[in-house]
Amino acid sequence: MDEPAVWAYSEVESLANEVSGASESVATQLGARSEVVELGQLRGSVQASGGKLLLKSGSGPGFSSETAAEALRRAAEKLRPTAILVGSTRDGREVAARLAAKLGVGCISDAVKLTAHGDTLTAERSAYAGRVLATIECKFPNVVTVKPGLFAWGTGSSDRVEEFDVGDLPGTTRRTGRVKKEAGAVDLKQAKLIVSAGRGVRKKEDLAMLGDLAKQMGGALGCSRPLSSDLGWLPEEHHIGLTGLTVRPDLYIAIGISGQLQHVAGMKDSKIVVAINTDKDAPIFQSSDYGIVGDLYQVVPALSSALSGTKRA
Amino acid sequence: MKLAVCVKHAVDETELKVDSSGRPLIEGAAYKMSTFDKNAVEEALRIRSSVGGEVTILTVGPPEARKTVKEALAMGADKGVLIIPGTATGDSLRTAGRLADAIRKDGPYDFVICSEGSSDTYTGQVPPMLAELLGVPYVGYARKVEAKDGGVVAERALEDSVETVEARTPLVIAVVSEINEPRYPTLIQIMQAAKKPIEERRPDEAGSAESRSAPTVVSMSAQQAARKHLIIEGSPGDAARKLLDALRKEGVL
Ligand SMILES: Cc1cc2nc3c(=O)[nH]c(=O)nc-3n(C[C@H](O)[C@H](O)[C@H](O)COP(=O)(O)OP(=O)(O)OC[C@H]3O[C@@H](n4cnc5c(N)ncnc54)[C@H](O)[C@@H]3O)c2cc1C
Ligand SMILES: Nc1ncnc2c1ncn2[C@@H]1O[C@H](COP(=O)(O)O)[C@@H](O)[C@H]1O
Repeated sequence: MDEPAVWAYSEVESLANEVSGASESVATQLGARSEVVELGQLRGSVQASGGKLLLKSGSGPGFSSETAAEALRRAAEKLRPTAILVGSTRDGREVAARLAAKLGVGCISDAVKLTAHGDTLTAERSAYAGRVLATIECKFPNVVTVKPGLFAWGTGSSDRVEEFDVGDLPGTTRRTGRVKKEAGAVDLKQAKLIVSAGRGVRKKEDLAMLGDLAKQMGGALGCSRPLSSDLGWLPEEHHIGLTGLTVRPDLYIAIGISGQLQHVAGMKDSKIVVAINTDKDAPIFQSSDYGIVGDLYQVVPALSSALSGTKRA
Repeated sequence: MKLAVCVKHAVDETELKVDSSGRPLIEGAAYKMSTFDKNAVEEALRIRSSVGGEVTILTVGPPEARKTVKEALAMGADKGVLIIPGTATGDSLRTAGRLADAIRKDGPYDFVICSEGSSDTYTGQVPPMLAELLGVPYVGYARKVEAKDGGVVAERALEDSVETVEARTPLVIAVVSEINEPRYPTLIQIMQAAKKPIEERRPDEAGSAESRSAPTVVSMSAQQAARKHLIIEGSPGDAARKLLDALRKEGVL
């Protein structure tokens, strides 16, 4: 029998490295091997301390969450990993839940911390819109999704590659189109400074003003969920909060954001929080270090000119 | 067309109180219809109005969850099924199993509509699990759904892209909140909802699915960072300069 393995999987390359890091720490605590699982083809940029498991399928590349979950099931039933860690993207969450249902094992979503001891995995995750940090225990084997942006990349590497043929993977949904949204210039998860826009911004064009401020300060532009989801002004990957990114910059400037729990959940660990809002009772001021009660259409230009040293009338 | 909407009776996160040691008081908490499930109900009503049919609300929850089922009926759904489990667990697979049992018993439903995640626990596990248990196609993170000749054409909102997918009915769909604007029931609708049927079921078994290793919550603590709460006064120009000074002193600028 091979030594037990903890698997790391994500369809997103950079996230696969974070999941690999999480998997490495869990595996170390268990005296197990951490293995990165890849579908269809190997990705050179993803590091794995315990080597890689390449799942090959006759159906070729182009995995959906449906076929990825089935491929992982077939491999898992044969190779019996102790735990399967999946990067928590929208597709990744589907893969994990489907896989847990197929295997009949427990599933933990959006882990922000993982420790393992004996036969049990202990995970921390947010609940109740981020008001609560819940500690959850689940016996192995299990499936866990790992929140992006929180786990350090794995440090080990190995050239070992194992292959497993999963056979044909029929799917029941057909993808007929895919439109990529224009990508943001800066990686918000790495940004030291984030200027974040909310519904207080009246039109899409006005975002440029906030984007410029972010640039002047050497930071990146984020937003609340309505701006990316309902209004589509920015790609979904800019949205901060429970259902979006978790960020921890040194400085977070919330502009025209009311500060609902679900938004605060994604930025509450920022070092310093600033809020600019016309409503002095907006909950965001409860989550801020510095606040300006005022109109963003006056305060943002004032900040810009104070930064560039020019005097304003 | 037979449509089912899975609606959760969820802890109202805005009303959740925390005790002196920072622990949330889940017992005694207020409950409400899970926020995005209103979008799921709305989408079912929208499909019904374009192709006809009947909308059934399915809820797994305690007897008090009747309130949430009623709210969905007031929005316009036709009838409700409240599945009251003997013991509540945090096992999503068990919840999905009970929903699957009800769907198999009363179905087939052409559409089973859920939301991307519940507003209290937000795991997004139940809908994909339900599709697995029923062995039907699944469309998650749907931001647009169009019923068409025995199937759907739908748009999925992903982080960096929008996908168009096609699938045949029966199927399970999980919607995102931007798919529609949920309606508010009128007073008359609320009164009429009292006459709509709600069937209560009390299955004595665990249901058809359960995980071997259900996750259990062992502790909870409130998350709140200490903040300074300083309001900077003055004209926009003054406030801006004072703010930048303060941020430079903090060493974050
Ligand atoms: C399950 C669930 C998950 C969610 N996940 C997220 C998430 O991940 N991220 C997220 O952001 N939201 C999330 N939400 C939505 C969240 O509850 C709020 O609805 C959302 O954050 C509100 O966005 P907002 O603050 O931009 O808009 P609003 O709440 O509309 O606030 C706009 C603010 O702008 C202020 N304002 C208006 N005009 C001006 C002006 N000229 N100058 C300055 N200020 C002005 C107003 O006073 C107000 O406070 C989630 C909700 C649910 C139910
Ligand atoms: N107890 C429940 N009763 C009915 N539907 C549920 C229940 N729990 C979850 N769901 C459905 O599954 C969705 C996602 O919930 P969750 O998996 O808990 O994040 C919800 O929006 C509902 O549509």
